[in-house]
Amino acid sequence: MTLKETKGTFFLIFFALATAFFYNHFSPFGIALFGQWQTSNGVVNAISKTDLVNASIEINNPEIIRRIIQEKKRIVLDVRPLEFYEEGHLPGALPFPLMEFDTVIDKLLEMTDQQSPILIYCSGFECMDSHNVATNLENMRFTNVKVYPGGFRQWQEMGHDIEKNEK
Amino acid sequence: MKNNKIAIIFFLIKLILGITFVYAGYHKVTDPAGFAKILYGYAIFPGFSINILAISIPFIELIAGFCLIFNILSRPALLLVNTLLLIFILMIGFNLLRGHQFDCGCFSFSSHPQTLSNIYLLIRDLLLLLSGIYLWMKTKTGALR
Repeated sequence: MTLKETKGTFFLIFFALATAFFYNHFSPFGIALFGQWQTSNGVVNAISKTDLVNASIEINNPEIIRRIIQEKKRIVLDVRPLEFYEEGHLPGALPFPLMEFDTVIDKLLEMTDQQSPILIYCSGFECMDSHNVATNLENMRFTNVKVYPGGFRQWQEMGHDIEKNEK
Repeated sequence: MKNNKIAIIFFLIKLILGITFVYAGYHKVTDPAGFAKILYGYAIFPGFSINILAISIPFIELIAGFCLIFNILSRPALLLVNTLLLIFILMIGFNLLRGHQFDCGCFSFSSHPQTLSNIYLLIRDLLLLLSGIYLWMKTKTGALR
């Protein structure tokens, strides 16, 4: 490898990095230089300009979640696709697939009002669907919406009860 | 005549590698958050490095790919492509060996990682790397411009 090739390689790397960070800064899809990748802090995400994650509405404590479920303190919504819900879900959770939001929101409004406490979960820390639904509900003036970031996977891993085959 | 054939083979290898890398880089550039999550899923990188890699790698792929296609700084671009391929192979291989389910995020962001498709990707990357190494070894400095 010649000196010219070495210089060329470094030039390409420098040019690529300069373009990358310049583009990222101005792109509507740009992300922060450092993301949120600690599950102890809630849903993991790159903190992009398009993300809807609101960490302040997360309840990232499995023990509190267990009590909420046991004591039925909140309406629990499972926003995963229906087939996953039917395979197993948190006790008392209602199916509320994100993809069918327009349909299921009417059912929710029939059974409750916007002041009711709601808890939303999806598959786990990598899933942002619960935050998408939470944002939609808040836009519809729901005032007490929380997200369980650990989701179904954490609940299952902790060995808690799971309900199955309910539609 | 023989030289012509070799030149065509070299041209085709460069074109295939170039198009592959431009295509791979393009969809990552359009969804850096998705690519960052893919990198997180590899469970290899420390948290502080994930976003920086998600921003940088797609542009290195894009620019190296374009350089190969348009014959600009071809050997440095080929070196970058080969290095990236080697890193991808090591990452995919490492996760397959330890049985860690992941989505490679090579061309599209799937929500259902598949071991079989990752083995296919490993083989594909190995073939691309072998082509890249062949091109590097067979072209003397200055033969690729």
